[in-house]
Amino acid sequence: MQPMARTFSGESTGRSFARNYRLRAAMQEPTTVIGIALLLLFGYLIAVPIISMLLDGAIIQQADQRIARQPGGSWSWYYIWRVFASPVSAKLLWMPLANTLVISAGAITGALLLGGALAWLITRTDLKGRRWFAAVLIVPYMLPAWTFALAWNTIFRNRTGGGQKGWLETIGIVTPDWIAYGKLPIILIFTLHFTPFVILLLGGALQRFDSQLEDSARMLGASRFTVLRRILIPLMTPALVSAATLIFAKILGEFGVAYVLGMPVNMDVLATSLYRSIASRGAGTAAVLAGLILLIGAVSLLIDYRLLREARRFVTVGGKGAMDRGVKLGRYQPAALGFVVAAVLAGVFIPIGVLFLSTLMRVPGLFELSNFTFDFWVGSNLATVGLEVGILRSPLVWAAAWNSFWICGVAAVMAGLLGAMTGYVAVRTPLRPLAVALRQITFLPYLVPGIAFAVAYLALFAEPLGPIPALYGTPFILVLAYMADQMPFASRAGVSSMLQLGTEPEEAARSLGARWWRRIVYVVLPIQRQALATGVLIPFISAIKSLSLVIILAAPGSDVLTTLAIHMLEFGYTQASNGIVLIICAIAFAGTWSVQKLLKTDLAQGLGK
Amino acid sequence: MPEIVLSNIQKNYGNARNAVDDLNLRIGDGDFLCVLGPSGCGKTTTLRMIAGLEHPTAGAITVGETVMDCVESGVLVPAEKREMGLVFQNYALWPHLSVEKNVAFGLELRGVPKAERKAQIDRVMQTMGIAQYRDRYPSQLSGGQQQRVALARMLAVNPAVMLLDEPLSNLDSRLRLEMRAELKRIHDAFRSTIVFVTHDQWEAMTLATRIAVMLDGKLQQVGTPTEIYDRPANRFVAEFLGNPPINMIELSSGGLLSDGSARFLEMYGANRTATVGIRPESITLSAKEEPRDPRDWSTEAQVFAILPTGGSWIVECVCDGTHLFAVSSSPPKVRAGEAVTLSARPPTVHAFGEDGVRIDLEGQPAFL
Repeated sequence: MQPMARTFSGESTGRSFARNYRLRAAMQEPTTVIGIALLLLFGYLIAVPIISMLLDGAIIQQADQRIARQPGGSWSWYYIWRVFASPVSAKLLWMPLANTLVISAGAITGALLLGGALAWLITRTDLKGRRWFAAVLIVPYMLPAWTFALAWNTIFRNRTGGGQKGWLETIGIVTPDWIAYGKLPIILIFTLHFTPFVILLLGGALQRFDSQLEDSARMLGASRFTVLRRILIPLMTPALVSAATLIFAKILGEFGVAYVLGMPVNMDVLATSLYRSIASRGAGTAAVLAGLILLIGAVSLLIDYRLLREARRFVTVGGKGAMDRGVKLGRYQPAALGFVVAAVLAGVFIPIGVLFLSTLMRVPGLFELSNFTFDFWVGSNLATVGLEVGILRSPLVWAAAWNSFWICGVAAVMAGLLGAMTGYVAVRTPLRPLAVALRQITFLPYLVPGIAFAVAYLALFAEPLGPIPALYGTPFILVLAYMADQMPFASRAGVSSMLQLGTEPEEAARSLGARWWRRIVYVVLPIQRQALATGVLIPFISAIKSLSLVIILAAPGSDVLTTLAIHMLEFGYTQASNGIVLIICAIAFAGTWSVQKLLKTDLAQGLGK
Repeated sequence: MPEIVLSNIQKNYGNARNAVDDLNLRIGDGDFLCVLGPSGCGKTTTLRMIAGLEHPTAGAITVGETVMDCVESGVLVPAEKREMGLVFQNYALWPHLSVEKNVAFGLELRGVPKAERKAQIDRVMQTMGIAQYRDRYPSQLSGGQQQRVALARMLAVNPAVMLLDEPLSNLDSRLRLEMRAELKRIHDAFRSTIVFVTHDQWEAMTLATRIAVMLDGKLQQVGTPTEIYDRPANRFVAEFLGNPPINMIELSSGGLLSDGSARFLEMYGANRTATVGIRPESITLSAKEEPRDPRDWSTEAQVFAILPTGGSWIVECVCDGTHLFAVSSSPPKVRAGEAVTLSARPPTVHAFGEDGVRIDLEGQPAFL
């Protein structure tokens, strides 16, 4: 060993120099400064709106002074009492809560059974055309859930809803309300919408499942049924429970389906009850309801997180023998094929087909050649209550499309860039607390259903705030809300792509003498361009489809495509609403397709190999 | 070429144990220093601190006259200004740039004129044998070719100090051999100071002019490969180098190695535990009845198994329940189950005290 003679004198100043050194090491690069700026921005765009909204539920609003018999601005339990215990609480909370729970339970059961069966058929059997089915079966998940509601409405609507006739009505079948509206159709629609989600989650788990585990049990004398009961299902439990909680959290925030199919029979779920509270200017009540939805959503996701962490013990990495030879369906092949075809028809072709046909028919459901027309797309001087010209010629539709496009586009680009920056900082900053804070605050909107998030934005930006003017009524509130709402995905994408990149390409440039800015421009950005494009496209698709945020935040007269579709429906002009929804579907589908091309992956990849 | 001096370097990541603990190391001009140790011993951290990619918690690093880091006086030179070359374990080639662009990067940053740059790149790519791949992208190259590109990228800027972080560990054994020769050639041709991190003892032995052995963040020994192998400073160093590993025998009075050990324990203290280590190639195998040199350390044992390795034979013997390995370069004349005598010349016997530190026997005529 070689002891060095070099030591440093001056203990008293040494300490401050050492602090100086550590500060230099941490601040050598702008990463930390950028991180702090991002944290402030997200604090303002995410945390403050939510807190401010929750406060609305604890402070008496000026408008409610008389009713509450308390001075405006004072702290109060009034709204909590109103929601939970007052005479109107049944209508505000308990009935909608019960409806939400019944619908969730039904839809989760349905989706798990249907999705589970389909996932098994696709991944573990010799079903014909598995690959093709795997690709088609996940299409419903790319479309907004309320597409199905509109299709259902087109066929089954009756006089209770008013407006144009339903198809069945036209041919003389009067549907009872419990078929046309309410819980049953909503459950069916959510089942169809979330089945792809189960197929993806469960199919992935089944695909990775090492068939040697099954083989060993069978070698010990277990029957196929015993293997299913004792080995397969216990090992799949984490994936099943995870799918169930995620579906529940998503249903909580789903507004459109219950709005289309619940409103005509006055059936509320939590999301629509919240919407009614806002529509009737009850900000305090809305805040309490939104807080409750937030809480339920957060708790269920927390449970999911815990379960997933538990489930890590279950991870079974497939070895060489993992390639399952697949169950031979044999004489059950036709039955299985029929089942899968039925699922594809019900989940994709029938809803889309119905929507499309409905836009071509003057009288809904009248299948006569003379009844068919392209007028609703391209005609003029139409005798309808909504638009006078076909939707492709209507300036209103084009304006809404342009609004959708630029608002979602700007929001998505900002979300993508901020997500990439968040990823960069969270992965690179030497300050761990900063990284943790950034990851958590950008994840926060995920816990907040869209509709509650919209309420939060309304609460904060309805009035001028410091130097910022009141944003409500301008498209900017939508840009900000969309952007903030997409941050969970955008920042996760940013973090994971930065983790994948690792530090070495940048360090290699550094050791060759490249400063921070050059490394970003010449090394990090070029390598990350694909991830960045995805980080913009996916928020864009999801924003284009979104209804719950925009139905609350869009000012009257400045429609986007989704709100325009809903307004057309309110007018009873189903041809137009269905047509607009088809346009949204086409955009969403094209967008998803291009993401898959961009990433050279396939959502259903490997499922039906 | 500059000398690198690490003084009292300490690195702590917020754990109870320091990742690098009070490290003092002088890397001389033109040295090919291998930092050797098991994973997690702090060797990569040390290399990254020299590169300026990590920052010590205490201590100082100087290169030539320049202070690169000095925690106590707050001096810090950022990594991009240190003008050192660095090659990573998985090469870290930029996937979006062609081979030529990868190699050109450093020269472009330095604003070298185009003609000169071209000449330099051509020369380096020629040297590394990658000129024919200039327009390919890293993903189109094999591991060995990528490694050459990574080296070329570093060599293009002709750094005075080259830092290599396990650059050969992702290559297959044949390529590794080839690249070792390449590195040795580079060291001779460029006359630069090389710091090379590895956990592979053979790599260190074959390449280094000096080896620094580390364990648990602490420097165990620095010296030439021969010094490290022939005079290990402690038990860990002795056991880390050598394959098959050195035979370690705990000594108590009498029993194993009776001849030499009795004298040794007399000197060391009969009621203390000491260990001797004898490398397998230092053990001579002889038939039980053959006469033996009284100065040798010897013991009787039984052959347990004979393991041919191609060029040599490993003879595994058991003695009082302890398994001992001997290496023989000719086919052993013994068979499994036979009784043999194992003996070793005194200079090849390493002794370690209770604390594991080497006890020098050389000054002790009784043992020679």
